[in-house]
Amino acid sequence: MAARVVSRNVRQARPGWAALATIVSFIYFFPVLWIILTAFKTYNDALAVPPKWLFTPTLDNFVSVFSRAMTYQGAAVDTGFDLFFFNSIFIAMTSVAVALVIGTVAAYGFSRYPLKGNETYLFIILTTRMLPPIVVIIPIFIMFREVGLSGTYLGVILLYTAFNLPFTIWMMKSFFDELSREVEDAARMDGSSEVKVFFKVCLPQVIPGLAATAVFGLILTWNEYLFALLLTGVETRTVPVAMGQTIGGAIGVRWGLLAAIETLFLIPVVSVTFLLQNQLLRGVTFGTVKR
Amino acid sequence: MSTIELRGLTKAFGDLMAVKSIDLTVAAGEVVCLLGPSGCGKTTTLRMIAGLEQETEGEIRIGGARVNRLTPAERNVAMVFQFYALYPTLTVRENLAYPLHADRLDAGAIEAHVRRVSGLLHLDAVLNQRPGQLAEGEKQRVAVGRAIVRDPNCFLFDEPLSRLDVQLREEMRSQIKEVLEGLNKATVIVTHDQLEALTMADRIAVMRNGVIEQCASPHDIFAKPANLFVAGFIGTPQMNLLPAVLIGSDDCGVRQGAVTSSARFRIGEGTVQLAVDPAVGRLAPESSVTLGIRPRGLELVAEPQPDSLAARIDLIEPMGAETLLHLVDGRLEFRIVVDRRTEARMGERVNLRFRPGQTHVFDASEQRLAS
Amino acid sequence: MAVTASGVRTRGGFLALSWSNWPLALVAALIVIVLAIWLLPGSVAFWISLAAAALVAFSAVAFAYGRRNNGALLVAPAVALLVVMNIFPLLWSLGLSFFRYKANSIQPPVWLGINNFATVLNNADVWDRLRTTGLIMILTVSCQLIVGFLLALLFEKQFRGRRVLLMLVLTPMMLSYVAVGAFFRYYYEPTFGLLSQFIRMFTGEHFLLLNTPWGARAGIVFADAWMWSPFVMLLVLAGLVSVPSYLYEAAEIDRASWWRKFRTITFPYIRGLLLLALLFRTIEAFKLFDVVFLLNEGGPGTSNETIALYIYRQSFQYNKTSYSTALAYIMLFVVVVLTNLYLYAVNRRAREVV
Repeated sequence: MAARVVSRNVRQARPGWAALATIVSFIYFFPVLWIILTAFKTYNDALAVPPKWLFTPTLDNFVSVFSRAMTYQGAAVDTGFDLFFFNSIFIAMTSVAVALVIGTVAAYGFSRYPLKGNETYLFIILTTRMLPPIVVIIPIFIMFREVGLSGTYLGVILLYTAFNLPFTIWMMKSFFDELSREVEDAARMDGSSEVKVFFKVCLPQVIPGLAATAVFGLILTWNEYLFALLLTGVETRTVPVAMGQTIGGAIGVRWGLLAAIETLFLIPVVSVTFLLQNQLLRGVTFGTVKR
Repeated sequence: MSTIELRGLTKAFGDLMAVKSIDLTVAAGEVVCLLGPSGCGKTTTLRMIAGLEQETEGEIRIGGARVNRLTPAERNVAMVFQFYALYPTLTVRENLAYPLHADRLDAGAIEAHVRRVSGLLHLDAVLNQRPGQLAEGEKQRVAVGRAIVRDPNCFLFDEPLSRLDVQLREEMRSQIKEVLEGLNKATVIVTHDQLEALTMADRIAVMRNGVIEQCASPHDIFAKPANLFVAGFIGTPQMNLLPAVLIGSDDCGVRQGAVTSSARFRIGEGTVQLAVDPAVGRLAPESSVTLGIRPRGLELVAEPQPDSLAARIDLIEPMGAETLLHLVDGRLEFRIVVDRRTEARMGERVNLRFRPGQTHVFDASEQRLAS
Repeated sequence: MAVTASGVRTRGGFLALSWSNWPLALVAALIVIVLAIWLLPGSVAFWISLAAAALVAFSAVAFAYGRRNNGALLVAPAVALLVVMNIFPLLWSLGLSFFRYKANSIQPPVWLGINNFATVLNNADVWDRLRTTGLIMILTVSCQLIVGFLLALLFEKQFRGRRVLLMLVLTPMMLSYVAVGAFFRYYYEPTFGLLSQFIRMFTGEHFLLLNTPWGARAGIVFADAWMWSPFVMLLVLAGLVSVPSYLYEAAEIDRASWWRKFRTITFPYIRGLLLLALLFRTIEAFKLFDVVFLLNEGGPGTSNETIALYIYRQSFQYNKTSYSTALAYIMLFVVVVLTNLYLYAVNRRAREVV
C-alpha cells in the first residue's frame, strides 16, 4: 500500500471553528468547572439558590481537606488526607511502574517467542481485564486476609499491577510486533547478546508505547474504588475511599470540602495526561492505530 | 477551449519562496512537463493549478477563465497523484466510476465509460479487485484511468511514474503518451525524471528554486540549453562542464552549414581551438567561461589535435552497448561515451577531441552564449 | 535461536504424569479445590486451593520451559501474577458456586451441584435486573457513541487552542466515580441542584429527577455517558486523523459531495474503531456499578439496580455468598462472550488497517 507517512495529515479548520469548539468544549466541561468553583465556595454559597456565579472565593475548603473538625463544634484535627494523597500517588505510580516492567518483558516474550496457542493466552489475559470485579472480589478479600496482605501496600500494589498487566501486555506486544527485525538482526550479527538487543535496540523504539500505557494505566488505577475500599487499611487508604467516607459523615455532605478534595485529586492525573496527550490516543486504541 | 495560463504565480510559505512569479501558457492539447530537482517548486505549482494550494500572488486561468477563487471541484480538473490516492475500500470499477457521479449520469452511461477506460488501460481483469490487491503498475493505471474517465478542462500529473520500476516505467511512458495524444487537453506533468520529460512532453519547463529556467521543446532543451543549470540537468551521462578562459576569437565562417566562429580557450594546462557560436565574439579576451560538451560530443583520437585535450583514464564504466570513461587531467574531469568495442585501459593517456560544433559556451553569469 | 511452536497436546496424552501436563493439572486442581471446600475448614481449604493453583501455574511454565523456550522466562512473572490475582480467585469462585456457602456463618458449605445456577436462572428478580441493566446499557452506549462521534468531528482539524480544549473535554474521564456520583446527585438535587434551578426558570417549580425510575435512569445514563463519551471521541479521533489527506484531495478533485466523501473515505477508517468503542463500552456498561450505586443506590427502590449492584447486595448485605457467586459467573460468561467479540474486532482492525 502507498506510504503511510503523509505530512500535514491534520488539516486546518475553517476560521470560526475555534470559536465553535471553544463553546462546545466549555459546555462539556461545565460540570467539572462547577466542581472546581464549588471548591472555592463557602458552604452556604455552594447551596445558594439561585446559583452564585460571582462569589468571594475562600481557601477554607482546601485547608479543611487536611485539617478539620471531625465532630460538630469539635477542634480541628489532622484528617490524614496528606497520607491519603501520598498513598494514591505511591500506589498508582508503583503499580503502573511494576506493570510496565513485568508487562513489557512479557510482551517481548509473547512477541518474539510466539507459542502455538498465543492467541488463546492473550485472550485469557484480556479477559482478566474485563472481569466483573464482583466475581473475584470475595476470593481476593479472603485470600488477602489469610495471607496477611489485607491493608498493606504490597497487597494493593500487587492487585493493581495485575489490573494493569493485561493492558500493558497488549499494548507493548503490538508495539514490539511493529518493529522491523532488520535492526535487531544487525545488532545480533554485531555480537550483541539478547539482553543487549532488547535494551539497546527494541526498547528505545517503543517509548511512545510505554508512555501511552503509563498514562492509560494511571487513569485507570487512580480512580479505582471498589477494591481499594475492601483491601486498603487505615494506613494505606487511597483518596477515593477517603472521599467516600467523607460523604457518609454525620455532618452531611460538605460539598465544598468534597469539591476541594476532587480538585486537588484531579491535578496529578490531568497534568500527566496533558503532557502525554499524544500518547493517550495510541493507548486508547490498544496500539492498533498508528499516527 | 482547454488551456492553462499562469501569470506571475507566486507562492510563499512564510519566509520561504517556493514559487517565484512564474509565467507559463499551456495550449489546448499540449503536454508541458515541469521538470526539476526536489524542492524546485514544481509540485507546488501543480497543486496551485489544481486548487489544492492557495497562491500568494498571481493569476491562474483555465480555459480562459480566472479560477483563483474556485475550489478544485469547481475548476473541473483531473489529477493523477504521486501516491495514486486510490480509494482503498472501493473496487477498481468503483474507483474509476467515482468522478462520474458528479456529472449525474445514469448507471448505463457510467458503466460504458468505465469499460472504455478499462479496455484502454488493460484493467478488465482487475475491475472487481481492491487497490490493496493490485500490483504497482495496475494501481498506476487505475489512477490514470480515474483521471481520463471524465471530461475535465485539463490534466495534471504529479510524478506519475516515480513509483514504478524501470521496466514498467518504459511501458507506461509510451502508454501514457498514447493516451494523452488521444485526449487533446492541456496537460501538465510534474517529474524529476528527465527521460520521462523528454519522451512525453511537447514542451519542457525546467525549474529551479521556484523559477522556470527554460521552457522549450525537448529538442531545444537538449540541444540549446539556456544556462548552465539546464545544460547540466538534461542528458545522461551529464554534460561535461569545464571551466575555461577565452583567449581570443577569430572571425566567423561557415562550417558544417552553421555560422560559427573559431575561438581559442585555455582549459587547465592546455588550449583548444573550437568552433563555437559567433556570440562568443562579444566577450572580451581573458573572460572566464564554462565550456559544455556532452560525453558523446567527445571522441578519442590517436594524435593530439588543435581541438583536443589529453587526459588519463581514471574509471571505466561499461554501459552495455557503450562504455563510459571517466578521465582526469590535473583538476579537470571528463566523461566520454565510446562504443563498447573501443579498447581502453585504466591509467592510459588518451586524446579527447571536441567534435566540431558541439561545444556550448556559458559566460560568467551562467548563460549560454547564443546568437 | 530457534522459535519452536508448541502444541497443546502433551506427550503421552491427557493422563501422562509429567510436570508439563498442565491440562491434567488444571482438572486435578479443580477437583481438589472443590473437595477441599466441601470437606475441610475454611483456612485449610484456602491454603490447599492456593497450593493447587500454584501447581497449575508451575506446570504451565514447565510446559513452555520444557521446550527450551526462552519466552517462558520472560513471560513467567507476568503470568504468575495474573494467575495468582485472577485465575486463582476465579477457580475459587467457581468452586464456591457449587455450594451453598454463607460468608458470615460457621456452617460448612453444603454441596449443591448446579442448584445455585438453577436457582439463579429461575429467579424473576435476576431477570428483572438483567432487563434493567440491558436497558441502561443500550441507552448509555448509544449516547456515548453519538456524542463521542460528534466530539471527534469537532476536534478533527487543527485550530488554535485545540490541545487545551481537547484536554478540557477529556477531564470527565479522569474524575473519580465518587466525585461524579456525589456531584451529579448534587446537580440533580431538587432544591439547590443546578438542573432543577435551570428548569425552575421556565416552570417555576422544583424539578425532581431521581425519584422516578425513568428519571433516575436518565440521570444515570446522562452521568455515565458524559463521563465516557470522551473515550469514544478519542477512538474515533484516532481513526479520523489517520485518513491520509491525499484521499480527501483526490475526492475534492473528483468533485465528490460531502456525504460521498464521508461514506467512501472517512467511515471505513473509523468503522473498526467505532466497533471497538461499542464493544469496550458495552462490556463496561454491563459491569456498571459505581455510578449507579453512588448516585442513587440503584433507586428509587430497586428499579435501577443493575446486575452488578444486585450481586454486590446479595453477597455483602444478604450474605448469600455462593448464590451471588453463581450469578457472577453467569455474568462472567456473558463478558467472556463479549470479550471474544472484542478480540475478534481488534484482530480484524489490525489486519484491515488501510
